[in-house]
Amino acid sequence: MNQSAVVGAEDAIVFIIDDDSSVRRALEDLLESVKLRVLSFASTQEFLRSSRPDAPACLVLDIRMPGQSGLDFQRELASVNLHLPIIFITGHGDIPMTVQAMKSGAIEFLTKPFREQDLLDAIQLGIEKDRARRQDATIIAELRRRFAELSPGERKVMTPVVGGRLNKQIAAELGVSEITVKVRRAHVLQKMQAQALADLIKMAQALKVS
Amino acid sequence: MKTRSYASAFAAPSFLPLATIALAFGIFIVDTVTDLEIAVAALYVTVVLMSVGFCRRRGVIFVSSTCIVLTILSYLLTSTGAPRAGLINCAISLVAIAATTFLALKIKSAETAVYEARAQLAHMARVTTLGELAASIAHEVSQPLTAITASASACSRWVAEQPPNIEKARQALDRIAKDANRAGEVIGRVRSLIKKTPPQMEWLNINEAIRDVVAMTANEIEQNRISFHTKLTGDIPPVLGDRIQLQQVMLNLIINAIEAIAAANGAVRNLLVSSAISESGGILVSIHDTGVGVEPDKLDQLFDAFYTTKVGGMGMGLAICRAIIEAHGGRIWAKQNIPCGAIFQFILPAGGRGAQ
Repeated sequence: MNQSAVVGAEDAIVFIIDDDSSVRRALEDLLESVKLRVLSFASTQEFLRSSRPDAPACLVLDIRMPGQSGLDFQRELASVNLHLPIIFITGHGDIPMTVQAMKSGAIEFLTKPFREQDLLDAIQLGIEKDRARRQDATIIAELRRRFAELSPGERKVMTPVVGGRLNKQIAAELGVSEITVKVRRAHVLQKMQAQALADLIKMAQALKVS
Repeated sequence: MKTRSYASAFAAPSFLPLATIALAFGIFIVDTVTDLEIAVAALYVTVVLMSVGFCRRRGVIFVSSTCIVLTILSYLLTSTGAPRAGLINCAISLVAIAATTFLALKIKSAETAVYEARAQLAHMARVTTLGELAASIAHEVSQPLTAITASASACSRWVAEQPPNIEKARQALDRIAKDANRAGEVIGRVRSLIKKTPPQMEWLNINEAIRDVVAMTANEIEQNRISFHTKLTGDIPPVLGDRIQLQQVMLNLIINAIEAIAAANGAVRNLLVSSAISESGGILVSIHDTGVGVEPDKLDQLFDAFYTTKVGGMGMGLAICRAIIEAHGGRIWAKQNIPCGAIFQFILPAGGRGAQ
């Protein structure tokens, strides 16, 4: 059974929200046995109140919970900008419920009792997705930090440069000398840590400043 | 042994039809021999009202028309009395018969509506309670089962570790045992739920119970153009049982038979319900149909829970039938009908022997 372990997920964490304590404990133990870090909660409120470690993660969520349904909670997470991949588990899933969950971006929808391999596969997929999303987020955060270091004059130059305008044209448009444009352009490339114009264009796209 | 057919307009055998015919004949004689002024013909309303008791709609209309013909015939045959008064009397009698017939037919259609509603209710009750019960049991059992499968696979991983993590494995096994007990408790709760509604045992005539169920299914029988007969043994000993439960069994079997006949869609569409006294002295009820039938090697599985040959069937109907019949100290089985279809039979102890 060891071939089924979730690979490359050493630092990852799985959140379980299920109001049934025996299901919770069993799932917790199952994930621990494949060397995953697990935090489990009896309710969505408990989950929201907790301080969650900053690591790639995914959420295993029982769709039928007292108080708030799993589908409502899925919407709430999206509205507070918490982008966790969700794996729904349910005692009795109907088709409309499944469709709605999958449309809202759920990774998987498992009907209890499910095969543990299906759960582990879904968790692996969820963690990979979250890891990729987090990497993108880290890169963008770094670019934002670099962009913030540009002077107002340098920012003004960056947009037309990325747009493919010539130094001469930019100088005319901004009412500054061509030399000034050249200097600012060099500063932009340096501060944004771009090797070439092509890199800068990609960065501008990621930052949506073009 | 009496035979009756739902295909005919007259539905129930008893002394009532004979009494009605005798009364109509008597009124005719008296009406003919008495003077024209004496309005004996008005008594035909009694005949019409009596016909409601054993006729269906067409039958009531037939009886009423006969009464009208007899009234006119008497008027023409009677020679004594004042012709003018006789004509008025005759007209009054005819109006009375017509009005009574109209009211009788209204009562009849109300009765039919009640039967239809009851049949529908029985259908719905059968499907919804089973469906809801099954869904909630499925949910209750799926929780511990989920926990058990997860714990079991965790346990095998803890054991496979080098060195094996015995403590973790032992904890997982403890949880498995606990969750298995929990699943068992769910089943125990279902059992106690069934026991909470104790059967209402009473002495009953199985023929009456059969007639009630047949009335509930009359519509389905007609809609599927089934030639339906009952063969009820007249002098049958009473059975100690729960009327509703036994009717549920027969309703199930008859509806199954109707569905089987509809599915076969053959030219021969016969359904026969019979009651008899078995060799062992028990009461034997048989439902013969000419439907799709059952393969010989499937006859034994038919009564198992969740065994079904119907699309969308739940496989609970016959399992419940068997549970009810066995709770009454009886037996239920199926065999092949010749040349086609199936025969479902159950036997109940006569005089209540073996019933709880």
